[in-house]
Amino acid sequence: MPKVTYAQPDGTETVLDLVPGTTVMRGAVTGGVRGIVAECGGNLMCATCHVYVDLDEATPAPFSPVTPDEDELLDCTATPREAGSRLSCQLGLTDRTADIVVRVPESQT
Amino acid sequence: MATTVGQPAEHDIGLSRLRHDPYPAYRYLREHDPVARVPEAGRYLVTRHADIMHVERHPEIFLSSENPSLMTRSIGETLLRQDGAAHQRLRRAAEPPLRPRVVKEHWLPVFRRNTADLLSVLAERGEGDLFADFAGPIAARNLAALLGLRGVGDEDMRQWSQAIIDAAGNYGEDPEIWARCARAVADLDAAMDEILPVLRRDPDPSVVSAMLHADDPLTEDEIRTNIRVFLGGGLNEPRDSIATATYALLTHDEQRRDVEAEPALWKRVFEEAVRWVSPIGMYPRRVATHTDLAGRVLEPGDKLGIVIASGNHDERVFDRPERFDIHRAETGHIAFGGGPHFCLGTWVSRAAVAQIALPGLFGALPGLRLTDEAVPFEGWVFRGPLRLGATWNS
Ligand code: FES
Repeated sequence: MPKVTYAQPDGTETVLDLVPGTTVMRGAVTGGVRGIVAECGGNLMCATCHVYVDLDEATPAPFSPVTPDEDELLDCTATPREAGSRLSCQLGLTDRTADIVVRVPESQT
Repeated sequence: MATTVGQPAEHDIGLSRLRHDPYPAYRYLREHDPVARVPEAGRYLVTRHADIMHVERHPEIFLSSENPSLMTRSIGETLLRQDGAAHQRLRRAAEPPLRPRVVKEHWLPVFRRNTADLLSVLAERGEGDLFADFAGPIAARNLAALLGLRGVGDEDMRQWSQAIIDAAGNYGEDPEIWARCARAVADLDAAMDEILPVLRRDPDPSVVSAMLHADDPLTEDEIRTNIRVFLGGGLNEPRDSIATATYALLTHDEQRRDVEAEPALWKRVFEEAVRWVSPIGMYPRRVATHTDLAGRVLEPGDKLGIVIASGNHDERVFDRPERFDIHRAETGHIAFGGGPHFCLGTWVSRAAVAQIALPGLFGALPGLRLTDEAVPFEGWVFRGPLRLGATWNS
């Protein structure tokens, strides 16, 4: 099972073993991870499920690339967009997804 | 039906009290009876922030479809009262013009022009009712443009919208209200007859055009029906959020000075205004399966009222929630609802109200101040000021 680590701005971390087929957002919401609001429930409308996925160049991309709809919402996030910015409702997990760390931003609204 | 065993029976929360000022009643319910049976509303009212989030996160348990519903009866089966794939299909078709990029590139200039037109007339008058003379007309004009309606005046938009809203809340079965709604629907249909063939030939960035030309296009009947719900719902929320935010700033001098000195704060003025007095205070849901909510056992068919106005005043989330405070640290208001029915107009309203209407109003009317001693607010399903008498230097 893919292991997702949610790193909070204050340094605390939550590590969840998630079932394939879920998303980084859904895992957080079900697991009660602070800071992932996900107002629209994964419908790619709200931009309140923002996370940072920091990867070095050598790591193969674990998720499918940003679509145009995600891209425009990433311009509307509460904390500034960075190279690793993603909407966690678009980060689907499979049984092949490598363990990953996502940073939860300071705020979502 | 669920029972009220173990729940305090002393509250007698009636609709007239809620309409006048629902907030004291909500405070009581959050504390003592968070999923309260309110017979006059025919529903359980869900009043705590956390429980509302739970409902929105489980659309498979808490359905939006309700049959019979007053709304379905008055304007037909719209996306607001559908679930799952059927809802998704309608929503996807309507959504493209309301996404952030089109809002920014296409609609911002339209909103700017509409706002400037209205304010240039108003500026010279020196006094007026900012509700009837500004908040209402700007909301109407922007909405007509968004939907793709042409040549429809602000006053027609206002009347149609009000007629549809009144019918959706016609619990008393007043025949005059049904008749007025039927007339509004007929007039709107006539306006649709004019634009449908035009937009079919020449697509534009409007909602009707998007519905016609979606990958999975909607039929003309579906478009007519759903435009009715956008008209009913799309006018009073921007109107009431403008009026509430204006009232708030005109009664909180320090915060007004802060935002006039730092225009980036307009965004917070808008978000705090819709938290403070949410334009949509309550919407319905229906229970699909046996479930438990805040200790209340619910059965299939039970009707709920999701009171986002109360969730936005939940002292478990917001410090001194009755205060208007653009600097508050806590975020997470739920004025736009959540889940698959998350407000379609969210990005549009942020642009039209927070970026254009509010800064435009305060910029164009120097010395703006209220003349009304006590501004009346009304409503619990929808809530906002009824008038906003003001003067300014002309
Ligand atoms: S949950 Fe709304 S965009 Fe991801």
